[in-house]
Amino acid sequence: MSQLFRTHLYQEHVKLNAKIVPFAGWEMPVQYTSVKDEVLAVRQNAGVFDVSHMGEFFVEGPEAETFVDYLLPNDIINAPTGKAVYSPLCRDNGTVVDDLIVYKLAPGRVLICVNASNIDKDFSWIQQKQKGFNCTLTNKSQDYSLLALQGPKAWETIQNFVTELPDIEYYSVFESSFEKHPVIIARTGYTGEDGFEIFGSHEAILGLWQNLLKHGVTPCGLAARDVLRLEVCYPLYGHELNDELNPFDAGLGWTVKAAKTKFIGKEALAARKPNKYKLVKLILEKGIPREGYPVLNGSGQPIGIISSGTMSVILNKGIALALIDVDKVPMDDVFMVDIRQKHYAAQLLKKPFVTGGHK
Amino acid sequence: MATNIPANLKYTKEHEWTLIDGDTVSVGITDFAQSALGDIVFLEVPEVGSELKAGTTFGVVESIKSVSDLYAPISGEVIAKNSEVEGSPEKINQDAYGSWLIKVKVKNTGDLQNLMTAEQYQEFCNTSH
Repeated sequence: MSQLFRTHLYQEHVKLNAKIVPFAGWEMPVQYTSVKDEVLAVRQNAGVFDVSHMGEFFVEGPEAETFVDYLLPNDIINAPTGKAVYSPLCRDNGTVVDDLIVYKLAPGRVLICVNASNIDKDFSWIQQKQKGFNCTLTNKSQDYSLLALQGPKAWETIQNFVTELPDIEYYSVFESSFEKHPVIIARTGYTGEDGFEIFGSHEAILGLWQNLLKHGVTPCGLAARDVLRLEVCYPLYGHELNDELNPFDAGLGWTVKAAKTKFIGKEALAARKPNKYKLVKLILEKGIPREGYPVLNGSGQPIGIISSGTMSVILNKGIALALIDVDKVPMDDVFMVDIRQKHYAAQLLKKPFVTGGHK
Repeated sequence: MATNIPANLKYTKEHEWTLIDGDTVSVGITDFAQSALGDIVFLEVPEVGSELKAGTTFGVVESIKSVSDLYAPISGEVIAKNSEVEGSPEKINQDAYGSWLIKVKVKNTGDLQNLMTAEQYQEFCNTSH
Protein backbone atom coordinates (compact mmCIF):
# COMPACT_ATOMS: atom_id res chain seq x y z
CA MET A 1 0.00 0.00 0.00
CA SER A 2 1.33 3.41 -0.92
CA GLN A 3 2.18 5.98 1.72
CA LEU A 4 -0.84 7.75 3.17
CA PHE A 5 -0.85 11.55 3.24
CA ARG A 6 -1.43 13.54 6.40
CA THR A 7 -2.97 16.98 6.55
CA HIS A 8 -1.08 19.75 8.34
CA LEU A 9 -3.56 19.37 11.21
CA TYR A 10 -2.70 15.71 11.76
CA GLN A 11 -0.91 16.33 15.05
CA GLU A 12 -3.90 18.34 16.29
CA HIS A 13 -6.14 15.33 15.66
CA VAL A 14 -3.72 13.04 17.48
CA LYS A 15 -3.66 15.43 20.46
CA LEU A 16 -7.45 15.31 20.56
CA ASN A 17 -7.34 11.49 20.63
CA ALA A 18 -9.27 11.24 17.37
CA LYS A 19 -9.86 7.85 15.83
CA ILE A 20 -7.88 8.05 12.58
CA VAL A 21 -8.61 5.96 9.48
CA PRO A 22 -7.32 5.77 5.91
CA PHE A 23 -9.64 7.69 3.58
CA ALA A 24 -9.01 8.45 -0.12
CA GLY A 25 -5.26 8.04 0.41
CA TRP A 26 -5.19 10.17 3.55
CA GLU A 27 -5.06 9.47 7.26
CA MET A 28 -8.13 11.35 8.40
CA PRO A 29 -9.99 11.76 11.72
CA VAL A 30 -13.21 9.74 11.53
CA GLN A 31 -14.45 10.74 14.98
CA TYR A 32 -13.24 12.61 18.05
CA THR A 33 -15.68 11.85 20.86
CA SER A 34 -19.00 10.61 19.51
CA VAL A 35 -20.55 10.72 16.03
CA LYS A 36 -23.88 11.59 17.63
CA ASP A 37 -22.49 14.55 19.58
CA GLU A 38 -20.58 15.78 16.53
CA VAL A 39 -23.68 15.66 14.30
CA LEU A 40 -25.75 17.46 16.95
CA ALA A 41 -23.06 20.13 17.34
CA VAL A 42 -23.34 20.95 13.63
CA ARG A 43 -27.15 20.90 13.57
CA GLN A 44 -27.52 22.99 16.74
CA ASN A 45 -24.33 25.03 17.29
CA ALA A 46 -21.12 24.89 15.30
CA GLY A 47 -18.65 22.18 14.34
CA VAL A 48 -15.40 22.29 12.42
CA PHE A 49 -13.99 19.71 10.00
CA ASP A 50 -10.47 19.40 8.65
CA VAL A 51 -11.07 18.84 4.94
CA SER A 52 -7.57 19.77 3.80
CA HIS A 53 -7.40 16.54 1.81
CA MET A 54 -9.67 18.09 -0.82
CA GLY A 55 -8.11 19.50 -3.98
CA GLU A 56 -7.77 23.13 -5.09
CA PHE A 57 -7.18 24.08 -8.73
CA PHE A 58 -6.86 27.68 -9.92
CA VAL A 59 -7.84 28.76 -13.41
CA GLU A 60 -6.50 32.23 -14.20
CA GLY A 61 -6.39 34.46 -17.24
CA PRO A 62 -8.69 36.32 -19.63
CA GLU A 63 -10.55 33.15 -20.66
CA ALA A 64 -10.77 31.53 -17.22
CA GLU A 65 -14.57 31.78 -16.96
CA THR A 66 -15.08 30.86 -20.63
CA PHE A 67 -13.00 27.73 -20.17
CA VAL A 68 -14.66 26.62 -16.93
CA ASP A 69 -18.07 27.22 -18.48
CA TYR A 70 -17.07 24.98 -21.41
CA LEU A 71 -15.66 22.39 -19.01
CA LEU A 72 -18.83 21.96 -16.90
CA PRO A 73 -22.54 21.29 -17.54
CA ASN A 74 -23.68 23.96 -15.07
CA ASP A 75 -23.81 27.67 -15.91
CA ILE A 76 -20.60 29.37 -14.84
CA ILE A 77 -20.40 32.29 -17.24
CA ASN A 78 -23.62 33.97 -16.11
CA ALA A 79 -22.95 33.56 -12.39
CA PRO A 80 -21.73 36.87 -10.98
CA THR A 81 -18.21 37.27 -9.61
CA GLY A 82 -18.28 36.26 -5.95
CA LYS A 83 -20.65 33.33 -6.53
CA ALA A 84 -20.01 29.62 -5.98
CA VAL A 85 -21.53 27.03 -8.32
CA TYR A 86 -21.88 23.27 -7.75
CA SER A 87 -21.42 21.14 -10.85
CA PRO A 88 -20.57 17.67 -12.04
CA LEU A 89 -17.49 17.37 -14.25
CA CYS A 90 -18.43 15.21 -17.23
CA ARG A 91 -16.67 13.33 -20.00
CA ASP A 92 -17.62 13.73 -23.67
CA ASN A 93 -19.87 10.67 -23.22
CA GLY A 94 -21.67 12.33 -20.30
CA THR A 95 -20.33 10.16 -17.48
CA VAL A 96 -19.21 11.86 -14.29
CA VAL A 97 -15.48 12.35 -13.62
CA ASP A 98 -16.21 14.10 -10.31
CA ASP A 99 -18.49 16.62 -8.64
CA LEU A 100 -17.01 19.93 -7.56
CA ILE A 101 -17.59 23.54 -6.56
CA VAL A 102 -16.45 26.48 -8.69
CA TYR A 103 -15.68 29.75 -6.89
CA LYS A 104 -15.63 32.91 -9.02
CA LEU A 105 -13.09 34.85 -6.97
CA ALA A 106 -12.45 37.77 -9.33
CA PRO A 107 -12.66 38.43 -13.06
CA GLY A 108 -10.15 36.04 -14.63
CA ARG A 109 -9.63 34.11 -11.38
CA VAL A 110 -11.55 30.91 -10.63
CA LEU A 111 -11.00 28.35 -7.86
CA ILE A 112 -12.22 24.78 -8.32
CA CYS A 113 -12.50 22.53 -5.26
CA VAL A 114 -12.56 18.78 -6.00
CA ASN A 115 -12.79 15.49 -4.09
CA ALA A 116 -9.53 14.22 -2.58
CA SER A 117 -9.81 10.82 -4.20
CA ASN A 118 -10.11 12.37 -7.67
CA ILE A 119 -7.42 15.09 -7.62
CA ASP A 120 -5.06 13.45 -10.12
CA LYS A 121 -7.83 12.13 -12.39
CA ASP A 122 -9.57 15.53 -12.47
CA PHE A 123 -6.40 17.52 -13.01
CA SER A 124 -5.23 15.48 -15.98
CA TRP A 125 -8.74 15.59 -17.50
CA ILE A 126 -9.05 19.35 -17.08
CA GLN A 127 -5.51 19.93 -18.33
CA GLN A 128 -6.25 17.95 -21.48
CA LYS A 129 -9.37 20.04 -22.18
CA GLN A 130 -7.77 23.41 -21.40
CA LYS A 131 -5.57 23.54 -24.51
CA GLY A 132 -6.44 26.48 -26.75
CA PHE A 133 -7.94 28.62 -23.97
CA ASN A 134 -6.13 31.76 -22.88
CA CYS A 135 -5.77 30.84 -19.21
CA THR A 136 -3.52 28.87 -16.88
CA LEU A 137 -4.45 25.86 -14.76
CA THR A 138 -2.55 25.21 -11.51
CA ASN A 139 -2.99 22.41 -8.99
CA LYS A 140 -2.45 24.09 -5.61
CA SER A 141 -3.81 21.21 -3.52
CA GLN A 142 -0.47 20.88 -1.70
CA ASP A 143 -0.35 24.58 -0.82
CA TYR A 144 -3.78 24.93 0.75
CA SER A 145 -5.40 23.67 3.91
CA LEU A 146 -9.18 23.77 4.20
CA LEU A 147 -11.58 23.94 7.14
CA ALA A 148 -15.35 23.60 7.07
CA LEU A 149 -17.01 25.53 9.90
CA GLN A 150 -20.64 24.45 9.87
CA GLY A 151 -23.76 25.06 11.92
CA PRO A 152 -26.29 27.74 12.89
CA LYS A 153 -23.61 29.50 14.99
CA ALA A 154 -20.97 29.44 12.22
CA TRP A 155 -21.72 33.01 11.14
CA GLU A 156 -21.42 34.59 14.59
CA THR A 157 -18.36 32.45 15.36
CA ILE A 158 -16.33 33.37 12.32
CA GLN A 159 -16.86 37.09 12.95
CA ASN A 160 -14.44 36.80 15.88
CA PHE A 161 -11.53 35.71 13.75
CA VAL A 162 -11.50 37.29 10.32
CA THR A 163 -10.83 40.94 9.53
CA GLU A 164 -13.78 41.47 7.26
CA LEU A 165 -16.68 39.34 6.13
CA PRO A 166 -19.92 40.81 4.82
CA ASP A 167 -23.10 38.78 5.27
CA ILE A 168 -22.64 37.09 1.89
CA GLU A 169 -25.33 34.84 0.46
CA TYR A 170 -25.18 31.05 0.68
CA TYR A 171 -22.98 29.78 -2.16
CA SER A 172 -20.88 32.97 -2.31
CA VAL A 173 -17.21 33.60 -1.68
CA PHE A 174 -15.18 36.46 -0.18
CA GLU A 175 -11.46 37.02 0.21
CA SER A 176 -10.51 38.15 3.70
CA SER A 177 -7.66 37.60 6.15
CA PHE A 178 -6.97 35.87 9.43
CA GLU A 179 -4.04 37.19 11.50
CA LYS A 180 -2.59 38.82 8.38
CA HIS A 181 -2.82 35.64 6.32
CA PRO A 182 -5.02 35.89 3.24
CA VAL A 183 -7.92 33.42 3.39
CA ILE A 184 -10.70 32.57 0.95
CA ILE A 185 -14.02 32.25 2.76
CA ALA A 186 -16.89 30.53 0.99
CA ARG A 187 -20.40 30.19 2.40
CA THR A 188 -20.61 26.57 1.30
CA GLY A 189 -20.48 23.17 2.93
CA TYR A 190 -21.60 19.59 2.89
CA THR A 191 -23.95 19.46 5.87
CA GLY A 192 -27.07 21.38 4.82
CA GLU A 193 -26.43 23.90 7.58
CA ASP A 194 -25.24 27.47 7.23
CA GLY A 195 -21.48 27.57 7.32
CA PHE A 196 -18.20 28.41 5.75
CA GLU A 197 -15.36 26.68 4.01
CA ILE A 198 -12.10 28.52 4.62
CA PHE A 199 -9.13 28.02 2.33
CA GLY A 200 -5.71 29.28 3.41
CA SER A 201 -2.05 28.50 3.93
CA HIS A 202 -1.25 25.60 6.25
CA GLU A 203 -0.07 28.09 8.89
CA ALA A 204 -3.23 30.19 8.68
CA ILE A 205 -5.56 27.20 8.86
CA LEU A 206 -3.69 25.62 11.78
CA GLY A 207 -4.01 28.91 13.68
CA LEU A 208 -7.68 29.26 12.81
CA TRP A 209 -8.41 25.64 13.83
CA GLN A 210 -6.78 26.21 17.23
CA ASN A 211 -8.69 29.47 17.72
CA LEU A 212 -12.02 27.90 16.79
CA LEU A 213 -11.51 25.05 19.25
CA LYS A 214 -10.54 27.48 22.02
CA HIS A 215 -13.75 29.33 21.23
CA GLY A 216 -15.72 26.13 21.93
CA VAL A 217 -16.39 24.92 18.40
CA THR A 218 -16.70 21.11 18.30
CA PRO A 219 -14.13 19.24 16.17
CA CYS A 220 -16.03 16.84 13.90
CA GLY A 221 -14.81 13.83 11.94
CA LEU A 222 -15.63 12.19 8.63
CA ALA A 223 -18.26 9.88 10.16
CA ALA A 224 -20.34 12.84 11.32
CA ARG A 225 -19.79 14.52 7.95
CA ASP A 226 -21.17 11.48 6.17
CA VAL A 227 -24.27 11.29 8.39
CA LEU A 228 -24.87 15.03 7.95
CA ARG A 229 -24.64 14.94 4.16
CA LEU A 230 -26.81 11.85 3.95
CA GLU A 231 -29.52 13.35 6.18
CA VAL A 232 -29.84 16.20 3.66
CA CYS A 233 -29.36 13.82 0.67
CA TYR A 234 -26.20 15.28 -0.84
CA PRO A 235 -24.53 12.78 -3.18
CA LEU A 236 -21.02 11.46 -2.50
CA TYR A 237 -18.67 10.53 -5.32
CA GLY A 238 -18.00 6.78 -5.27
CA HIS A 239 -21.50 6.15 -3.93
CA GLU A 240 -24.25 8.05 -5.77
CA LEU A 241 -21.84 9.22 -8.48
CA ASN A 242 -19.17 7.30 -10.33
CA ASP A 243 -17.34 6.89 -13.64
CA GLU A 244 -20.23 4.90 -15.17
CA LEU A 245 -23.16 7.15 -14.26
CA ASN A 246 -24.30 10.40 -15.83
CA PRO A 247 -25.69 13.32 -13.78
CA PHE A 248 -29.29 12.32 -14.53
CA ASP A 249 -28.79 8.87 -12.98
CA ALA A 250 -27.82 10.55 -9.73
CA GLY A 251 -30.68 13.06 -9.67
CA LEU A 252 -28.38 15.91 -10.74
CA GLY A 253 -30.29 16.78 -13.91
CA TRP A 254 -30.77 20.29 -12.50
CA THR A 255 -27.01 20.94 -12.87
CA VAL A 256 -27.07 20.23 -16.61
CA LYS A 257 -27.89 23.44 -18.46
CA ALA A 258 -28.82 22.02 -21.86
CA ALA A 259 -29.45 25.52 -23.28
CA LYS A 260 -25.74 26.43 -23.05
CA THR A 261 -24.23 26.65 -26.55
CA LYS A 262 -21.43 24.25 -25.76
CA PHE A 263 -19.96 22.25 -22.92
CA ILE A 264 -18.18 18.92 -22.63
CA GLY A 265 -20.74 16.12 -22.73
CA LYS A 266 -23.56 18.32 -24.12
CA GLU A 267 -24.27 16.14 -27.18
CA ALA A 268 -24.08 12.87 -25.25
CA LEU A 269 -26.31 14.15 -22.47
CA ALA A 270 -28.84 15.54 -24.97
CA ALA A 271 -28.96 12.27 -26.93
CA ARG A 272 -28.79 10.07 -23.85
CA LYS A 273 -30.82 6.93 -23.56
CA PRO A 274 -33.33 6.77 -20.72
CA ASN A 275 -31.62 6.80 -17.32
CA LYS A 276 -30.31 3.48 -16.11
CA TYR A 277 -31.09 4.27 -12.49
CA LYS A 278 -33.40 6.28 -10.35
CA LEU A 279 -31.91 7.58 -7.12
CA VAL A 280 -34.44 7.25 -4.31
CA LYS A 281 -34.57 8.23 -0.64
CA LEU A 282 -35.64 5.47 1.74
CA ILE A 283 -36.40 5.60 5.45
CA LEU A 284 -36.86 2.57 7.71
CA GLU A 285 -38.80 2.24 10.94
CA LYS A 286 -36.55 -0.64 11.93
CA GLY A 287 -33.12 -1.78 10.76
CA ILE A 288 -30.17 0.20 9.45
CA PRO A 289 -29.58 0.15 5.69
CA ARG A 290 -25.93 0.04 4.61
CA GLU A 291 -24.11 0.51 1.32
CA GLY A 292 -24.44 -2.59 -0.88
CA TYR A 293 -27.59 -4.01 0.71
CA PRO A 294 -30.17 -5.14 -1.88
CA VAL A 295 -33.40 -3.18 -2.30
CA LEU A 296 -36.50 -5.28 -3.05
CA ASN A 297 -40.02 -4.64 -4.28
CA GLY A 298 -43.14 -5.76 -2.42
CA SER A 299 -42.81 -9.28 -3.88
CA GLY A 300 -39.26 -9.58 -2.59
CA GLN A 301 -37.55 -9.28 -5.97
CA PRO A 302 -34.28 -7.32 -6.16
CA ILE A 303 -34.70 -3.96 -7.89
CA GLY A 304 -31.61 -2.02 -6.85
CA ILE A 305 -28.94 -1.40 -4.29
CA ILE A 306 -28.26 0.94 -1.37
CA SER A 307 -25.58 3.46 -2.41
CA SER A 308 -25.29 5.08 1.05
CA GLY A 309 -27.00 4.24 4.30
CA THR A 310 -26.74 5.06 7.97
CA MET A 311 -28.64 5.70 11.16
CA SER A 312 -29.91 9.27 11.15
CA VAL A 313 -28.90 11.01 14.36
CA ILE A 314 -31.73 13.55 14.10
CA LEU A 315 -34.51 11.09 13.21
CA ASN A 316 -33.11 8.05 15.03
CA LYS A 317 -34.12 5.91 12.04
CA GLY A 318 -32.29 4.12 9.27
CA ILE A 319 -31.98 6.27 6.14
CA ALA A 320 -30.56 5.51 2.71
CA LEU A 321 -30.05 6.64 -0.83
CA ALA A 322 -30.55 3.78 -3.28
CA LEU A 323 -29.97 3.32 -7.00
CA ILE A 324 -33.01 1.53 -8.44
CA ASP A 325 -33.04 -0.01 -11.94
CA VAL A 326 -35.23 2.44 -13.78
CA ASP A 327 -37.45 -0.24 -15.34
CA LYS A 328 -38.00 -1.91 -11.97
CA VAL A 329 -39.18 1.10 -9.96
CA PRO A 330 -42.32 -0.24 -8.21
CA MET A 331 -45.51 1.54 -9.20
CA ASP A 332 -47.01 0.91 -5.74
CA ASP A 333 -44.04 2.62 -3.99
CA VAL A 334 -43.51 -0.48 -1.84
CA PHE A 335 -39.81 -0.93 -1.04
CA MET A 336 -37.98 -3.32 1.24
CA VAL A 337 -34.33 -3.59 2.20
CA ASP A 338 -32.60 -6.93 2.61
CA ILE A 339 -30.61 -6.70 5.83
CA ARG A 340 -28.82 -9.97 6.58
CA GLN A 341 -31.45 -12.00 4.71
CA LYS A 342 -34.33 -10.33 6.55
CA HIS A 343 -36.67 -8.00 4.72
CA TYR A 344 -37.36 -4.64 6.34
CA ALA A 345 -40.07 -2.26 5.09
CA ALA A 346 -38.77 1.04 3.72
CA GLN A 347 -40.78 4.14 2.98
CA LEU A 348 -40.05 6.26 -0.08
CA LEU A 349 -39.48 9.95 0.65
CA LYS A 350 -39.67 12.73 -1.94
CA LYS A 351 -37.89 15.34 0.16
CA PRO A 352 -34.59 15.10 2.03
CA PHE A 353 -34.77 13.35 5.42
CA VAL A 354 -33.65 16.50 7.24
CA THR A 355 -33.96 20.13 6.20
CA GLY A 356 -30.71 21.91 6.90
CA GLY A 357 -30.76 25.45 8.20
CA HIS A 358 -28.75 27.11 5.45
CA LYS A 359 -30.15 30.27 3.88
CA MET B 1 -6.87 3.06 25.36
CA ALA B 2 -7.71 2.78 29.03
CA THR B 3 -10.06 -0.15 29.44
CA ASN B 4 -12.03 -1.54 32.27
CA ILE B 5 -11.65 -5.35 32.59
CA PRO B 6 -13.40 -6.85 35.65
CA ALA B 7 -11.52 -9.77 37.21
CA ASN B 8 -14.63 -11.90 37.83
CA LEU B 9 -15.46 -12.29 34.13
CA LYS B 10 -14.03 -14.43 31.30
CA TYR B 11 -13.33 -13.07 27.82
CA THR B 12 -13.03 -13.93 24.11
CA LYS B 13 -10.76 -12.68 21.34
CA GLU B 14 -13.89 -11.18 19.78
CA HIS B 15 -14.11 -8.80 22.76
CA GLU B 16 -17.05 -10.43 24.48
CA TRP B 17 -17.35 -10.95 28.20
CA THR B 18 -19.00 -13.88 29.94
CA LEU B 19 -20.26 -14.27 33.47
CA ILE B 20 -20.33 -17.92 34.43
CA ASP B 21 -22.90 -19.16 36.94
CA GLY B 22 -22.89 -22.97 36.99
CA ASP B 23 -23.98 -24.02 33.49
CA THR B 24 -25.55 -20.62 32.72
CA VAL B 25 -23.41 -18.00 30.98
CA SER B 26 -24.35 -14.33 30.48
CA VAL B 27 -22.73 -12.77 27.41
CA GLY B 28 -22.00 -9.12 26.64
CA ILE B 29 -19.41 -7.02 24.83
CA THR B 30 -16.44 -5.49 26.62
CA ASP B 31 -15.75 -1.89 27.45
CA PHE B 32 -12.97 -2.02 24.86
CA ALA B 33 -15.47 -3.14 22.21
CA GLN B 34 -18.12 -0.52 23.02
CA SER B 35 -15.49 2.19 22.99
CA ALA B 36 -14.12 1.06 19.62
CA LEU B 37 -17.63 0.90 18.14
CA GLY B 38 -18.77 4.31 19.32
CA ASP B 39 -22.46 5.20 19.60
CA ILE B 40 -24.32 1.87 19.51
CA VAL B 41 -27.72 2.22 17.85
CA PHE B 42 -28.89 -1.29 16.99
CA LEU B 43 -28.66 -4.73 18.51
CA GLU B 44 -29.88 -8.01 17.05
CA VAL B 45 -29.73 -11.15 19.19
CA PRO B 46 -31.33 -14.57 18.69
CA GLU B 47 -34.67 -15.62 20.12
CA VAL B 48 -34.89 -17.71 23.27
CA GLY B 49 -34.56 -21.38 22.33
CA SER B 50 -31.98 -20.78 19.57
CA GLU B 51 -28.92 -23.04 19.53
CA LEU B 52 -25.50 -21.38 19.49
CA LYS B 53 -22.29 -22.92 18.21
CA ALA B 54 -19.05 -21.66 19.74
CA GLY B 55 -17.12 -19.39 17.38
CA THR B 56 -20.00 -18.74 14.97
CA THR B 57 -21.95 -15.51 14.65
CA PHE B 58 -25.12 -15.22 16.70
CA GLY B 59 -26.07 -11.58 16.31
CA VAL B 60 -25.09 -8.10 15.28
CA VAL B 61 -24.26 -4.87 17.01
CA GLU B 62 -24.34 -1.68 14.96
CA SER B 63 -22.95 1.76 15.67
CA ILE B 64 -23.95 4.74 13.54
CA LYS B 65 -21.27 3.98 11.00
CA SER B 66 -20.49 0.27 11.32
CA VAL B 67 -21.85 -3.24 11.62
CA SER B 68 -20.08 -5.83 13.80
CA ASP B 69 -20.92 -9.49 14.21
CA LEU B 70 -21.28 -11.07 17.62
CA TYR B 71 -19.58 -14.45 18.04
CA ALA B 72 -20.80 -17.16 20.39
CA PRO B 73 -18.22 -17.68 23.16
CA ILE B 74 -19.63 -21.16 23.89
CA SER B 75 -22.10 -23.66 22.45
CA GLY B 76 -25.52 -23.99 24.03
CA GLU B 77 -29.12 -22.88 24.08
CA VAL B 78 -30.25 -19.26 24.47
CA ILE B 79 -32.44 -19.18 27.59
CA ALA B 80 -32.89 -15.39 27.87
CA LYS B 81 -32.30 -12.22 25.92
CA ASN B 82 -32.06 -8.74 27.35
CA SER B 83 -35.02 -6.93 25.81
CA GLU B 84 -34.23 -3.77 27.72
CA VAL B 85 -30.80 -3.48 26.08
CA GLU B 86 -32.24 -4.54 22.72
CA GLY B 87 -34.68 -1.64 22.99
CA SER B 88 -32.06 0.86 24.20
CA PRO B 89 -28.71 -0.35 22.87
CA GLU B 90 -26.99 2.86 24.00
CA LYS B 91 -26.99 1.26 27.46
CA ILE B 92 -24.03 -0.82 26.22
CA ASN B 93 -22.00 2.39 25.80
CA GLN B 94 -23.03 3.56 29.25
CA ASP B 95 -22.34 0.30 31.07
CA ALA B 96 -20.85 -2.50 28.98
CA TYR B 97 -20.59 -4.98 31.86
CA GLY B 98 -24.04 -4.16 33.21
CA SER B 99 -25.57 -4.84 29.80
CA TRP B 100 -25.73 -8.57 29.21
CA LEU B 101 -27.15 -9.44 25.78
CA ILE B 102 -28.12 -13.10 26.13
CA LYS B 103 -27.93 -15.93 28.66
CA VAL B 104 -26.88 -19.34 27.41
CA LYS B 105 -27.30 -22.76 28.97
CA VAL B 106 -23.97 -24.37 28.23
CA LYS B 107 -23.94 -27.77 26.56
CA ASN B 108 -20.46 -28.77 27.61
CA THR B 109 -18.93 -26.96 30.57
CA GLY B 110 -15.52 -28.06 29.28
CA ASP B 111 -15.86 -25.29 26.66
CA LEU B 112 -15.49 -22.72 29.40
CA GLN B 113 -11.78 -23.63 29.64
CA ASN B 114 -11.22 -21.91 26.30
CA LEU B 115 -12.19 -18.48 27.60
CA MET B 116 -9.55 -15.94 28.67
CA THR B 117 -9.07 -14.66 32.19
CA ALA B 118 -9.12 -10.89 32.78
CA GLU B 119 -5.33 -10.93 32.88
CA GLN B 120 -5.07 -12.82 29.58
CA TYR B 121 -7.61 -10.51 27.95
CA GLN B 122 -5.73 -7.42 29.13
CA GLU B 123 -2.59 -8.88 27.59
CA PHE B 124 -4.53 -9.66 24.39
CA CYS B 125 -5.81 -6.06 24.15
CA ASN B 126 -2.30 -4.67 24.73
CA THR B 127 -0.64 -6.79 22.08
CA SER B 128 -3.29 -6.88 19.38
CA HIS B 129 -4.12 -3.17 19.23
